[in-house]
Amino acid sequence: MTMRIFLLLGTLIVIVLLPQFLAPFHIRVVQLFFFTAALALAWNVMGGLAGYWSFGHTVFIGIGAFAAAHFVAKLGLPAGPLQMIAGIVFGALFCGIVAAIIAYPILRLRGIYFAIAMLGIGQVAAELANNVGWFQGDVGLFLETALPDGVEPERFFYYVFAGLFLFTWMVSLVVMRSRFGYGLLAIREDEDTAKMLGVPTEQIKAFGFTISAVLVGMLGATYAYSLGYFTASSVFRIDFSLNMIIYCLIGGIGTLAGPVVGAALMLLLTQIILGQLLELHLLATGLVVILIVLTLPNGVMGLVGGEAFRRRFSMRAGGKAR
Amino acid sequence: MDRRSFLKATGSSVVLAPAVFSSQANAQDATIQFAGSVPMTGAASETGLNVKFGYDCAVKFINEKMGGVDIGGKKHRVTLNLFDDASDPARATSLIQKQVDEGVNFFLGSFGSNIVLPTCAITEAAGRIMVQAGGGSDLIFTQGRRRVFGLFPRASRQFASTAAMFKTLNPQPQTVMFIYTNDAFSKVSAEGASKELEAAGYKVLNSIALPAQVSDVTDALGTVRAANPDILVCSTHDATSILIARQMVATNTNVKMLYQTLGPQTAAYVEALGKYANGVVGASYWDENAKYKGSIFGSAKDFAEYYRANFNRPLTYHMASGAGCIVAYVEAMKKVGNVTDRNAIRDALAGLDLETFYGRIKFTSQGDGDPVLLGPMVVQRQKGDLAVVYPTEAATAPTLYPALPWQERT
Amino acid sequence: MRDPNFSDRQAMLIIQTALNGLVLGGVYSLAAVGFSLIFGALGIVNLTHGIFVICGAYAAMVLFHVFGIDPFLATVPVAIAFFFIGYAYQRGLIQVAISRASLVASLLVTFGVALIMRNLLQLVFSPDVRTITPSYSFSSLTFGSLRIDIVRLIAVLVSIVFLLLMALVLSKTAFGRRIRATAQQPLAANLSGVNVPHVLGQTFGLGAAFAAASGAVLGIVQPFSPSSEDFWTLNAFIVVVLGGVGSPSGALLGGILLGLISSFTAQFIGPSYTNAVMFLVLVIMLLIRPQGLLGSAFGESR
Repeated sequence: MTMRIFLLLGTLIVIVLLPQFLAPFHIRVVQLFFFTAALALAWNVMGGLAGYWSFGHTVFIGIGAFAAAHFVAKLGLPAGPLQMIAGIVFGALFCGIVAAIIAYPILRLRGIYFAIAMLGIGQVAAELANNVGWFQGDVGLFLETALPDGVEPERFFYYVFAGLFLFTWMVSLVVMRSRFGYGLLAIREDEDTAKMLGVPTEQIKAFGFTISAVLVGMLGATYAYSLGYFTASSVFRIDFSLNMIIYCLIGGIGTLAGPVVGAALMLLLTQIILGQLLELHLLATGLVVILIVLTLPNGVMGLVGGEAFRRRFSMRAGGKAR
Repeated sequence: MDRRSFLKATGSSVVLAPAVFSSQANAQDATIQFAGSVPMTGAASETGLNVKFGYDCAVKFINEKMGGVDIGGKKHRVTLNLFDDASDPARATSLIQKQVDEGVNFFLGSFGSNIVLPTCAITEAAGRIMVQAGGGSDLIFTQGRRRVFGLFPRASRQFASTAAMFKTLNPQPQTVMFIYTNDAFSKVSAEGASKELEAAGYKVLNSIALPAQVSDVTDALGTVRAANPDILVCSTHDATSILIARQMVATNTNVKMLYQTLGPQTAAYVEALGKYANGVVGASYWDENAKYKGSIFGSAKDFAEYYRANFNRPLTYHMASGAGCIVAYVEAMKKVGNVTDRNAIRDALAGLDLETFYGRIKFTSQGDGDPVLLGPMVVQRQKGDLAVVYPTEAATAPTLYPALPWQERT
Repeated sequence: MRDPNFSDRQAMLIIQTALNGLVLGGVYSLAAVGFSLIFGALGIVNLTHGIFVICGAYAAMVLFHVFGIDPFLATVPVAIAFFFIGYAYQRGLIQVAISRASLVASLLVTFGVALIMRNLLQLVFSPDVRTITPSYSFSSLTFGSLRIDIVRLIAVLVSIVFLLLMALVLSKTAFGRRIRATAQQPLAANLSGVNVPHVLGQTFGLGAAFAAASGAVLGIVQPFSPSSEDFWTLNAFIVVVLGGVGSPSGALLGGILLGLISSFTAQFIGPSYTNAVMFLVLVIMLLIRPQGLLGSAFGESR
């Protein structure tokens, strides 16, 4: 126990002090890591734990961003830390409400149908945001962050995203250790049997879906603040949805460390190594994805985790979308 | 838990290592470095690549033809440090930051306002300069930035000359209709042009909005036929413009003038439409037949010849505007006499008023291109070539108006 | 005073819109049938589908510019070539991935290949938009006040021919029977002496062939570039969900429905809403009847 606390504290100290030693570019990379790893963790709640693979989670990034921007604009809040908190909280809650509303109909679908339905919802939202004038998704929206005096934007957002990442991580941890989390796992392993045995699958699924949406909405609103100016195509992106899935699969789906490891690996690859290979980054990303699938079917954590891990989290046994 | 921390620690040390070992690549002995990103893949890549080739052309000319540019008595060579932002703002912002860290002072812009805006915010905050020919959104210029310059006027002013051009037509058109894509640039410029035209006394009919990805406009064209405008203006990008024109021919939708902002200038357009491209009007920020001249490159024609001799990609005005950015920088540096004093160079750029192969480069007080001097010319495809028809001083041919119906074109 | 011609014009408008929708839909059907077959028979969501379509368009473009072969005729060699490519792809890569991990792995692998191919296409052909423009690209037929593009009309006819061809192959030939048997009951097929992996490869190859053939047709109908590929994969999803999985008739029905919805939305709501409505329809269909109007052609075993 003390070992764990020690490691936890150690990690926190590293996170807090890291920006002192890094160039601003690398700070941004780590910031992006916190953002994408947190997204992957949030997706993992439904995808990894419950086995419901959403192909359209970017919809919550977009809704979070647009909700935050419109909320602060309509209320005329002056720029400042309070405005940012209000925006992010509203964005997150709004996503939660949307998720709660669509949860019951959408979650009646299983497997690939659920995946496609979420993809469809994501696309509908993207198209409406872009083409319905009121949303201003085409001309773009502007979110001003009031930076505290003397703090550079990359450091500020580094700490913000680090905080959000830790928050998401803690939520994931709590979920995994709770009865609720076991409910999700039961749904993944055999939903119908679970239901017959009295597990309230409908409510559990809906709750999990809502938690996932709230987390992603929170991250999406923050991302919009970090961009400062965004259009529908900046926040509703299919590659966000796909990356969430890929990071989980590469790292080890359904685990706590998997999404984080996956995000770290892929980000290392794309940002640093491939930053120089101007015209080949898509190709290299594709190759990596294929290589991982062929050589590490259970993700990196599967390799590192040992036999018990494999039994628990193997893609074959439970981690697949049925 | 411990595995995760271990991986995190390893991860961070791998990230740290390059930062610790990278050195400030700031070799300033007789070299000027320009950095930035362009979309070489992704949605904006077609024009992104055009701009990149323009940058390459300027660099090659300066280094090889001129042997370097004379600043403060010393010959300086020019180097480019560009990366592909894949039309993704997240990627662009983090990699621009990297270049800022490496000490680059002078940035070139990407293409697309949604990338230019976040990246210019980064360069501005770090006190660096950006000269770009890829972002026209008003927001780039109206937020108090002092070190961001654009060769194009802002979107809402880009078609300031449209109304003036329509006034020169005979017989005078009465009705105008707009088709525009729902994106930051096309919509804002269509709205700006719409207001201009209404103020000038033309009747602007209900506009048609298209999504970014469109595969069929038959129904929209039905509406156009029913409304029967004299002039149809398409504020759309190349692929959509081609689609609209092709389907207009196929459905025999005739208007007295088809004005497509992006499209008619490219080789792909001519390939797709053949003889039907003749008569179509487009906006161009530069034309090789224009009577511009400058110390670097010489005349517009000279630029075109040099470009064609050295590069394969068909020439469009984006190459010229890209090269124009570098020319603007270099001319400002010549005035200052060195390549290190950022503030002086910034002031020189702000005060630039110089004739170059691209035209007379002059920025407004907010950094965008002067709407009259750097606004678009109107070009028209005539007999397979692109002729400048407006403004009259730069015109190489009179405007063919009204255009022949599709079936009569040769 | 009521305009006496108003209801006539409205009627004509509705008929013209319906005509446009049918014509558009025919092409959508052909573009989706390959995906439908693969999804129905193999359970694989082929994210490389859009790439097959676009490669077909580029192949037809090359054949047109180099040899002057009309794209409608080029569909045949292109289809044959992609049959073999699809077969090799399925047996060499996809099947390996599935056996290593699970069916889900096919999703990732096809996605990875799509990325690679997209990059390669961009490098070889540049990201610019291309068209194939045979001489008849600009003609149209008129019936009274109704109008229809010649190119689109021929495209629809060609699509129907191909769909019929697939239906015939699946129902009347031994090859087709093997495909259907393996799709419905792989174990039983195996026990009956069918070389299951071989047939699965052939099924995939057939799907790829039709996808590529549709690309050759699409190349004349509208401009394309490497980044068009995701549209065609999404399109295939929607057609399959609307019409039903695994059968040409499902693809035809789904495609036509999609075309009509698209056309009527463009005309009566606004062209910028077509995509939004298309995806909304997708979601609603999934909620009401996920297996599509005609259901899965290969039964519930998948």
